[in-house]
Amino acid sequence: MYGGGNTFEGIKTDSLSQEDPQKLAEFEARIARGEKIEPGDWMPDMYRKQLIRMIEQHGHSEIIGALPEGTWITRAPGFKRKLSLMAKVQDEVGHAQLLYSAAETLGKSREQMLDDLITGKSKYSNIFNYPAFTWADSCFISWLVDAGAIVNQLANAKGSYGPYCRALERICAEESFHLKYGHHCVIYLASGTDKQRQMFQEALNRWWAPMMHFFGPSDKISAHTEVLMKWKVKMSTNDDQRNQFLDMYVPKIWELGFTIPDPKLKKNTETNKWEYTEPDWEEFKRVINGDGPCNKERLEVRRIAEERGRWVREALKSPSMRYVTPLA
Amino acid sequence: MKSLDPRVNRLPGFGQGEVQPKAALDQLGTYEVFVQAKEGKPFQHEGIVHASDIELAYILAKETFTRRFTCVSLYVTDTRDVYVSPLSEGQTSAYDLLPAAEVQQGEQEMYEVYHLVKRGKQHVHAGEVSASSPQGAMQVAKQQLGVGKVVYNVWVIRKKAIRYTTDTDKDLWLTLPDKKYRDASDYKAGDKLTAFLEKAKHAV
Repeated sequence: MYGGGNTFEGIKTDSLSQEDPQKLAEFEARIARGEKIEPGDWMPDMYRKQLIRMIEQHGHSEIIGALPEGTWITRAPGFKRKLSLMAKVQDEVGHAQLLYSAAETLGKSREQMLDDLITGKSKYSNIFNYPAFTWADSCFISWLVDAGAIVNQLANAKGSYGPYCRALERICAEESFHLKYGHHCVIYLASGTDKQRQMFQEALNRWWAPMMHFFGPSDKISAHTEVLMKWKVKMSTNDDQRNQFLDMYVPKIWELGFTIPDPKLKKNTETNKWEYTEPDWEEFKRVINGDGPCNKERLEVRRIAEERGRWVREALKSPSMRYVTPLA
Repeated sequence: MKSLDPRVNRLPGFGQGEVQPKAALDQLGTYEVFVQAKEGKPFQHEGIVHASDIELAYILAKETFTRRFTCVSLYVTDTRDVYVSPLSEGQTSAYDLLPAAEVQQGEQEMYEVYHLVKRGKQHVHAGEVSASSPQGAMQVAKQQLGVGKVVYNVWVIRKKAIRYTTDTDKDLWLTLPDKKYRDASDYKAGDKLTAFLEKAKHAV
């Protein structure tokens, strides 16, 4: 689960002038032909850095994204929902492994990536800095946050870096289960009791703003992405992805009789684009930079998990004991 | 710091610890995973896992790549045991970029040979050859499997360095048909939705 477009940071293009112009031209021609870049190919330093950052953030988002849902496994209503949610959380953690592997092919070790997550140096999808208060919040994540992630991932799967694309194809196939499962849960809440409907409506009210933030800052204010689009690192703009998400899911939410907490939300039939209240980008910035309701908790849970697993990894690393049959 | 989840609050040292940077190899070494999607289809490279040894790598590969009937067999090998050719492009075959190697006399061993025939795709199994060294295996593969073909990258792996699926391992996948809850097809709610919409229409 990942929204992409997660920062306001500009892209430093100055390293580009130091690249070998002929190699750069060949590299760009390859991408323009629709060919993938493989780990052994020459690539500009900036391409490598951007991809590491993006794939790593995506991996971290899978790991951290498993936390707000994972916390609901024991409290999911009934055995079947517990099984499904467990399978989903297992998938998310598996996705992180696939993504870390893809990032590793670009030269950053998994040790370094995990360190950078826990120290806060690397970011992850901002939406997971919000808490899942009720079961309905968990259903919102399974259905709509995953839906948003699929919009982003299907686009990125057509990108230029071979190992990332291959990981994403596998991930998207598994996400289809998440999406159907999430929708199933929400349909059951929607057609349930008044209390159940109210629960989901409240979750929707809580999560709508983070969901609008999910695709990243508006194109008007987000950092320059032309060179990344040309290199097929970024496949569509933040606003395009947001629009695509709204197109696909607003009708499905309305169909279930829920109200989206944005009075300005409507589709402009002339431009074919959705209009909405501009999300609060100051809040987005503040939460990304550490001041959200759950940032500290998420990283602390991750740190403790790493700490508690350390002895296992160490034991595995040097299996000095060997079993021999006792002598007498 | 207080979590909504009481179990999180009970974690020992919650909110008090320091970050300990990881030592080199904390995440262990890597193993390459190859899977066979269907009986009779060639194996192809699927990805990597981190593990302490080849047996654990095999189990993790099964968990990572085959949770949903995506293969009938898989094998793993230490990344260091994969001998890799240069990467070629255009109409040049990777076989033509091999450094000249004298075919050495010595004990013959079997090697699995993988080809990258389309850039952007996975390496696919091309066949087996017998040779006395990985360099030799590349040369033999060039003659036996590479004639008249454009191959962008070649991998050879000594068969002895591979952890294959044995007949007794096959029951690893036997419980998969029971795990329908991992598939989108297990979440049909169309009837429920239609009933809900009908009811809503009448209410209006």
